[in-house]
Amino acid sequence: MRANRRCFLGCVALVLGLLLIAPAPSAGAPQGTVIYAVHITIAPAWFDPADNPGQITPFIIQYALHDAVIKPMPAGMMTPSLAESWTASKDGRVYEFVLRKNVVFHNGDLMTAEDVKFSFERYRGAGATLLKEKVEAVTIVDPHRVRFHLKEPWPDFMGFYGSPATGAGWIVPKKYVEKVGEDGFKQAPVGAGPFKLVSMTPGVEIVLEAHEKYWRKTPKVKRIVMKTVTEGSTRLAMLKRGEAHIAYKTDGPLGEEVRKDPNLDLVFSGGIATWWLQFGELNDPKSPWHHHKVRLAANYALDRRALSEAETLGASPLTGSIIPREFEWALPVDPLPYDPKKAKQLLAEAGYPSGFDAGTITPIPPYYSFAEAVGGYLGAVGIKAKVQKMERAVMFDKRRKRELTGICLCANGGFGNAVTRIDADIVSTGVHSVLKDAEIDKLFDEQSREADPKKREALLKRIQQRVVDRAYFAPIYQLQWPNGVSKAMKVSGMGLIPTFYYTGPFEEIELR
Amino acid sequence: MTRFILKRCGLALVSLFILSVTIFTLIRLTGDPATLLAAPDAKEADLDAIRVRFGLDRSWPVQYVRFVGGALQGDFGTSLYYRIPAGTLYWQRLPASLQLAAAAMTISLVVGLSVGILAAVNVGRWWDSAGKLIALLGLSMPSFWLGLLLIYFFAVYLHWLPTSGRGTAAHLVMPAIALSGYFTAAHMRLTRSSMLDVLGSEYVKLARLKGLPESWVLVKHAFKNALIPVVTLAGINLVLMINVAVVVETVFAWPGIGRLLFEGIEFRDFPVVQTVVLLGGVMVIVANLTVDVLYAWIDPRIRLKS
Repeated sequence: MRANRRCFLGCVALVLGLLLIAPAPSAGAPQGTVIYAVHITIAPAWFDPADNPGQITPFIIQYALHDAVIKPMPAGMMTPSLAESWTASKDGRVYEFVLRKNVVFHNGDLMTAEDVKFSFERYRGAGATLLKEKVEAVTIVDPHRVRFHLKEPWPDFMGFYGSPATGAGWIVPKKYVEKVGEDGFKQAPVGAGPFKLVSMTPGVEIVLEAHEKYWRKTPKVKRIVMKTVTEGSTRLAMLKRGEAHIAYKTDGPLGEEVRKDPNLDLVFSGGIATWWLQFGELNDPKSPWHHHKVRLAANYALDRRALSEAETLGASPLTGSIIPREFEWALPVDPLPYDPKKAKQLLAEAGYPSGFDAGTITPIPPYYSFAEAVGGYLGAVGIKAKVQKMERAVMFDKRRKRELTGICLCANGGFGNAVTRIDADIVSTGVHSVLKDAEIDKLFDEQSREADPKKREALLKRIQQRVVDRAYFAPIYQLQWPNGVSKAMKVSGMGLIPTFYYTGPFEEIELR
Repeated sequence: MTRFILKRCGLALVSLFILSVTIFTLIRLTGDPATLLAAPDAKEADLDAIRVRFGLDRSWPVQYVRFVGGALQGDFGTSLYYRIPAGTLYWQRLPASLQLAAAAMTISLVVGLSVGILAAVNVGRWWDSAGKLIALLGLSMPSFWLGLLLIYFFAVYLHWLPTSGRGTAAHLVMPAIALSGYFTAAHMRLTRSSMLDVLGSEYVKLARLKGLPESWVLVKHAFKNALIPVVTLAGINLVLMINVAVVVETVFAWPGIGRLLFEGIEFRDFPVVQTVVLLGGVMVIVANLTVDVLYAWIDPRIRLKS
């Protein structure tokens, strides 16, 4: 009995001794696992920036796995990352980037100008055709200095290269890609981002681990697990059950539930997708939408604040322009106030005292409840329109072919600058534009040839002012969405980058 | 019997050919996947580049020959959304679907057959009413609603089970119950009506007149014969459970084939949809073939007629 007790006490002493001499985890070492419930299906296609489709979605992972020469960060839309700095020549034809030294890829390779050149030349995603048309050559000055030579001055070069509008500035290791091949890279991607890939089950989950040699800082979290959970109620249940720390997109009633739960926080994202009403027949003199006062009436008819509350729990800032405020050369415009009386008066002045039948409102799927609410506000002043539901691909196709009639509840969430949005949605040749305003087309043409940045900015702002003055659209809000975050998170990273829908920078994310 | 099986195999090949042409054509009629793969404001040149990259610029006959030629060699093409082979995706997801379907089928057969037999034997009594109520609930309760109720009660409120995903046996419990709901009701109803038919037949009456014990009459004479339509239905239902458990797989984030098919349709991922439908079709055909052979084995009149 006594021997047993001695043995027991000896063991306790040994354990305590070991605990005392064991090295404690250093304060700076990454710790813990953060689990995400992601609302969209995670695909391996997103592991490779060379394939970026020009949508923001792949950056949900790329901000963790990879790094860019220049990218949006909390400090600004174009924050030098792998580049320390960049300069443009006076003639606007040469851009030089000074790269950071001692940047290490996940496999230990040092990042050099070779990788930057290789990544650009390998890029085949959105905007690749345009970039390669404009860039004559990429030359390596020294291992940490690279120059892009343009065929002619192109003031939008940085808008494409230095933003998530494309993935051309996101750097992959040349030697590794050449060694493993394209398919091998998709299976086992290596980047220069704050996290490296541990495992991946396509469409199910990915597991990432801290890249402790990340140049900016060592990530605070050891592991990140992103699980695809497309059903919102299940994401909420995971949060409540403690199975997830962050659940993306908990809007509507789900967000209200998050708000009520003392263990959860409702956190708003950033974002750059603007929503607006587009009037399909505004060029037709027989259409009511041809009248400026009718379009203005539609603008006054919308209670944007209530729409933002109902759809996004107030997360989305209201706007009077279809171009996000954060974009370069954007004209910040406040929306017109909600004034149904004035809307009715304007309709009467335009010759529609009893309103009119506007046909249909077609929203980008699946924002049908949003369209119903908009239809309600328009109907209240006499503009009657039924919500038309379309399958996503059909709607995109019809929109692209300009076959949508009536009102379109449209949005654009592409990165870029004021020029890219005007180019897509405002000038008559834009892929989605239904406008035909010769003056705007002329101004846009002028700005594209203007070398003086100040004059160019003035021209772009004149275009935007004309769009606002003529009420060509009824802008609603800049979409941002509510997300559920567990109180276990000290820093969720949500909304830190004002133009980004997801958490980031990943190295800042921290558990309590 | 050999002639019977060979004839059925020939018909199966014809069905597969028709299925391949149908799915190939139908999925292409739904629209151009390039518009979903590119940014909304992508230029036509970007869309063209995507079409060329995935061979969507080729004529339909060329695409069909490529698809069938590849499929015969086990290559179903590369997923447009995932950018990995569609076959790899399918085989990765199949075990999860098989596991879920097996669990759900076990529940539906154990509950459906037991309650069905009890209801038939006690027709018009308490057991029968309880059985009808179970059938009504199972058939009318949408699986997503049942799934969410289960999640909120057993996972969020009681903390007994994990909410979603796949891993341990505990992960399987709620999806299997939610998936089995409708099928349990269907098996129960069919077992009950089939048993009632058989129990009223002449040979069962004769067995009873001969003085055989009731349990022997039920098990040996009634149940075996009543099982034929239930086996047929269960065979088809098993294939449905494997391939189209879309709602349950979505609610429980279960990584199965149903979800893969749903995503394939959503993203116009032609190779994925073709793979899932074609291999699902193979499963239906094999299941039908097996059921036909089982039928012929259980009831010799069928193969003799054939």
